[in-house]
Amino acid sequence: MTDPLLAKLKILVVETLRLEDVAPADIPDDEPLIGGGLSLDSIDALELVVRLEKEFGIKIASSEESRTALASMSSLAAYIRERADPARLPA
Amino acid sequence: MSAPASPIRLAACGALTAFGDEAASLAALLGNRRALSSLPVLGRDGGDLVPLALCPGRGLDETAPPAWISHLRALAARIPGEGWGGPRRPVFVTSSNFGVGSLYAFRRDGNAAHLEHGTPFRCVDWIAGELGWGPDVTTFSHACVSAHLGLIQASRVLEAGLADEVLVFSFDFISPFVSGGFHSLKILNAEFPAPYRDGTTGSIGLGDGAAFAVFTRDRGEFTVSSQSLHNEMHHFTANRPDGSGFEACLAPVLAVAAGRRLWLKGHGTGTIEAGRLEAGTLARHFPGAPLVSWKGALGHTLGSCGLVELTLAAAAIRAGRAPGTVGGDAPTFTPEVALAPFDLDAFDGVLCTSNAFGGAHAALLLSHA
Repeated sequence: MTDPLLAKLKILVVETLRLEDVAPADIPDDEPLIGGGLSLDSIDALELVVRLEKEFGIKIASSEESRTALASMSSLAAYIRERADPARLPA
Repeated sequence: MSAPASPIRLAACGALTAFGDEAASLAALLGNRRALSSLPVLGRDGGDLVPLALCPGRGLDETAPPAWISHLRALAARIPGEGWGGPRRPVFVTSSNFGVGSLYAFRRDGNAAHLEHGTPFRCVDWIAGELGWGPDVTTFSHACVSAHLGLIQASRVLEAGLADEVLVFSFDFISPFVSGGFHSLKILNAEFPAPYRDGTTGSIGLGDGAAFAVFTRDRGEFTVSSQSLHNEMHHFTANRPDGSGFEACLAPVLAVAAGRRLWLKGHGTGTIEAGRLEAGTLARHFPGAPLVSWKGALGHTLGSCGLVELTLAAAAIRAGRAPGTVGGDAPTFTPEVALAPFDLDAFDGVLCTSNAFGGAHAALLLSHA
């Protein structure tokens, strides 16, 4: 069964970064987001972090923490699940 | 047979930081003091607290006209000679911010008076008028190596015989636009910068800074022995992970530096990856040479840092003692990182380096004349 948070995050990534040729379901769970197959870079990371902070009411403290959170979709989901108000997470 | 051309000399220089002029700044650095304090990243709009160092009496929010002009007038009053911007005495103005804080202020309050100072050329035209310079004023900008770009162009103009003296004048004053931008990248965060600390997280601090230098060939207390600029064109915000950009910038300097007893004034903003690459590259080429960064105290003065810190290095040479890496902490990336002040009796020059977004790198070797 698909993790609803993971599914929502994949949609968020595609929308925020306007990835025209990528469907949310095409994004692997455990591959690197930055520098991986999606070819995302630090500017993409900036846009993603701003959106994630707004969407889930979290604060990412440093660029190193941002890099850890964005290591993969799975790590991002784990990071947000740990810090966000549960009311903001998809059921 | 023609006589060999005389070298480029640093005839005069002066700086302004949040501590004051170069004498006050050097004294503060030698005393291990930090100008940075925790301030709201967006000024009166609030936001997270981040390390910023502003000149005395200046707020982060821009006024119309910008209040920092009084600081530039005071700095410019110390420039020796007259007729700057006139025949054979060009002025090179460098900055990475110019009046961008005015654009932010305009967007915030809609006051069109801010627009007179917002764009680079309007801003420089205004400053040139305020400081009484003639028409020969050229603007250079290349992120945080802007001042180095102005300095190397000054040398080229002198070497080509196109000028008798060149004034390089650099300024960068922090605004919510700039601090907010670095904060969104998360490289300006709540931590105080600890340059070259081998840690897991890092942060920069930002500081106001301005400086001037007069380059000429016929006099001066210091010689500009070598200069280098290199842009690796790798990525907007990242260096090549193998450090090859740092290597390429140093390459032209190494032959001149061979056999010299140098100390190193590095860039050292407090970020982890760039700090590791910079310290590692410098230690490979200059084993045992003490490496310092002063951005843990002054904050990063952005496009002006190369000239602000060159001026402080010159002041340190005159005083015979160099400040250590204020705000730094063990463990450091390399054993060469000097955390405490040290005497300069054993050295005959300083290599000053800066790095910038866009993969730009700069180096300048300053020696006693």
